[in-house]
Amino acid sequence: MFVLNGYEYFLGFVIVCALVCAAAIVLSTLLAPRRTGVERRTTYESGMEPIGGAWIQFNIRYYMFALIFVIFDVETVFLYPWAVAFNQLGLLAFIEALIFIGILVVALVYAWRKGALEWS
Amino acid sequence: MNLADGVQLVSFAVLAAMMLGAALGVVLLANIVYSAFLLGLVFVSMSGMYILLNAGFVAAAQVLIYVGAVNVLILFGIMLVNKREDFAPVKNVWLGRAATGAVCLGLFALLGTMILATPWVISIAPPAGDDAMVVIGKHFFSDFLLPFELASVLLLMAMIGAIVLARRDLLPDELADQDGREPPVALKLPERPRELISGKK
Repeated sequence: MFVLNGYEYFLGFVIVCALVCAAAIVLSTLLAPRRTGVERRTTYESGMEPIGGAWIQFNIRYYMFALIFVIFDVETVFLYPWAVAFNQLGLLAFIEALIFIGILVVALVYAWRKGALEWS
Repeated sequence: MNLADGVQLVSFAVLAAMMLGAALGVVLLANIVYSAFLLGLVFVSMSGMYILLNAGFVAAAQVLIYVGAVNVLILFGIMLVNKREDFAPVKNVWLGRAATGAVCLGLFALLGTMILATPWVISIAPPAGDDAMVVIGKHFFSDFLLPFELASVLLLMAMIGAIVLARRDLLPDELADQDGREPPVALKLPERPRELISGKK
């Protein structure tokens, strides 16, 4: 038994999105001129000239940002029910959520002081 | 069977096909970056399954954490180490594949018998549906308050640990080149020299 509301619109959006993607690919295969050559194989034919290969090793800095992002993503998931039930929870829950956020602000300050947020 | 049931059945079939296909792609494709992207597709179809099971919050958490964060982390991990190197082919590679296949089949048989042997008790209580989020929020701030606050301490610990490990602050002093010498080759990690160069600026 399915009890959630509003997901019929979600399903409609998913179907429309899938159809748009499929139509873009099918139409471009049908309509695009078939020429071959070096220019044809670049990512954007009339864009910037690509420099080097795409399969390069990434900078380790990206990994640091991804790690910090994971932590705050999990925090968001914890705060999500609080935000939805905010009107029914009252002041005490607000203070408790502030404590929760405050402990994580310590983590943010630590990351900031350690230079993890800087692109050196 | 009315329309809603039919739509649910079709959605379940499409999601299951997507999940199985993507999972097979994760295992079988040779390019590990494609495997990581297909893993994201597995997670997305799993969240669709959660929606079909009336678990909206779990579906949102699945998309937020697994697709948004864990999969991105896996992709960055792959792209950090994804160097094209010419590895020598392993001898007797079929032996390793046969052993892996045997272990996987055994695990599959074990889980299959476990699922078939478990007497699944289906709750007769009506599902909370759209109110589930409010119920979870109320539990967070009443009887599950301590675990909720401890979760933030856990996140703090994870964050500090991740920063300490990723910055390699704990590398012994004699390895860090104080007088300009390169650290011994055998002991240095691939990304360590770049860290030293960026740290000196």
